[in-house]
Amino acid sequence: MAIEKDLKTILGKLNYSDDAKVVQQITEQMRQVQARMAGIQHKLVVMSGKGGVGKSMTTVNLALALARQGAKVGLLDVDLNGPCVPRMLGMTGQSLTMTPDGAIPPVGPLGIKVASMDFFLDPASPVRWKGPMDVSPVWLGLMEMNVIREFLADVIWGELDYLLTDLPPGAAADKPPVIAGFIPDLAGAIVVTTPSEVASDVVQKSVTYARDMGIRVLGMVENMSKYRCPSCGAEHDLFEGDTEALCDALNVPLLGRIPFDRTLARTFDKGIPLLDDQYPTIQRFQEIAGRIQSLLDYKKVLAEKL
Amino acid sequence: MKFVCLNCETYMGFEKVEKPAEGSLGVFFGCPSCGAKFSMVTNPGETQMVSSLGVKLGGRTVAAEPFEMTRGTLKDEALAGSGQMAAYLNEKIQSGQPVATASSEAKTAPNHGKDGEKSASGCPFSAMVAEMGLTSSSKPGAGATGMPDLTWTADAKERLERLPSFVKPMVQSSVEAYARKHGFKTINLQVMDDSKNDSNGVAWTPEAEKRLENIPDFIQPMARREIERIAKERGSATITAELMDDAKEKFMKFM
Repeated sequence: MAIEKDLKTILGKLNYSDDAKVVQQITEQMRQVQARMAGIQHKLVVMSGKGGVGKSMTTVNLALALARQGAKVGLLDVDLNGPCVPRMLGMTGQSLTMTPDGAIPPVGPLGIKVASMDFFLDPASPVRWKGPMDVSPVWLGLMEMNVIREFLADVIWGELDYLLTDLPPGAAADKPPVIAGFIPDLAGAIVVTTPSEVASDVVQKSVTYARDMGIRVLGMVENMSKYRCPSCGAEHDLFEGDTEALCDALNVPLLGRIPFDRTLARTFDKGIPLLDDQYPTIQRFQEIAGRIQSLLDYKKVLAEKL
Repeated sequence: MKFVCLNCETYMGFEKVEKPAEGSLGVFFGCPSCGAKFSMVTNPGETQMVSSLGVKLGGRTVAAEPFEMTRGTLKDEALAGSGQMAAYLNEKIQSGQPVATASSEAKTAPNHGKDGEKSASGCPFSAMVAEMGLTSSSKPGAGATGMPDLTWTADAKERLERLPSFVKPMVQSSVEAYARKHGFKTINLQVMDDSKNDSNGVAWTPEAEKRLENIPDFIQPMARREIERIAKERGSATITAELMDDAKEKFMKFM
């Protein structure tokens, strides 16, 4: 008969070694993210909490606005299940170029480098993962987080002044602020909302959660603040909310208001983005981009004006 | 995960990984002392868990390729809709074999849930939620004077009521938290104003406040926080014009 052995006593005599090297590999993964993003001066995330507020449209136009000011800009679309940045910038069908050193992102309008899940998908194909995702969403969450980690670790951005990351919708632990936490030396978050009370309600939760995660919320952009008539250019209210009150309560600056502009939206829908810097709505984005630059350089502003 | 050879009282060593079937892994271990060998075989769920971490069992022998996991795990069109784990469970159920505990529980969850509700008179997930340490803040929307330990003056209450409904609960809970922190029993307009500029014990002189107005309004919240941080670093409880001069000098280094 086998002698009952006391496992605790046996383990006490042994030296543990991590043969599976899981911890070592995960540490290495995070180190690679840091190394890959070392050449980026300002890393920003654009988030909303609420879906459908025009977050991607805002991200793309802020990226274009910064590029128009002569900055080197990258745009990372990590909305894995609804990537739309390539289409908006007329880059559908392009792809990342895989090299032994990493993936080279294609270059879009005004020299913006773009990485998106869309570059891995066939037209009209949703994201489908191999494996038993049909039974447990827990694995899906893990998988998606690691795919996002690959986007951060494997894209060769080179030297950039700004990297804007378009986060998926979600208010709290269901991803966006957690993703933002992956990005080393994150400069801050731009929050997009509409004046709708429903959107404001969710957005305030995402701001609170982001702050809990130690993410600096730079400011808020109110999208669809008005409707700009394509015929006469007159602006009318779409919602009856109060973004200013929300910003006041959250102690977050309101960076600007963008009207719902059918003409502009159509050009992005068709993948032929309007780039005219004299166009009124684009000028609003230019102003917001200028404020973001001032916020990032706030120490210089304080030195000049305090 | 480690395995111990109980005969030799030593860790078994990792040897190799094989893929005996789609969605399954065979991980081989050997005892360095007696040479005993065994293989641990995973089902699709267990394989997925390891794969989702983006790591290689036993460590990497070659560097990862860019987007290795993304490209390796995106499902081909031909495979779309095939449920590997569902097929595995179905196969086990059809053949009468037991499946993993978690899956069994998932399968029978609705009945357990009903029974649990009757016997424990509560949500079956409440224990789990409590275990996770989730906290639900009190619902301030219940009324401006919902908290019995605090009294709102009529004018403070009126100002609160004038706020849009979606920001009212947040403002109320923040003002009440400030009042409790500072030992106020009554919330008046002054407490509301002070809570808005809660500077964690750092006071601003009127002159310092005035100078802050030189900063564009969208930068003021950040400037306020930064100057308060500098004050705390220096152990100063009041932000004066002199401290503002020092802060300015510090910021000049970034020009």
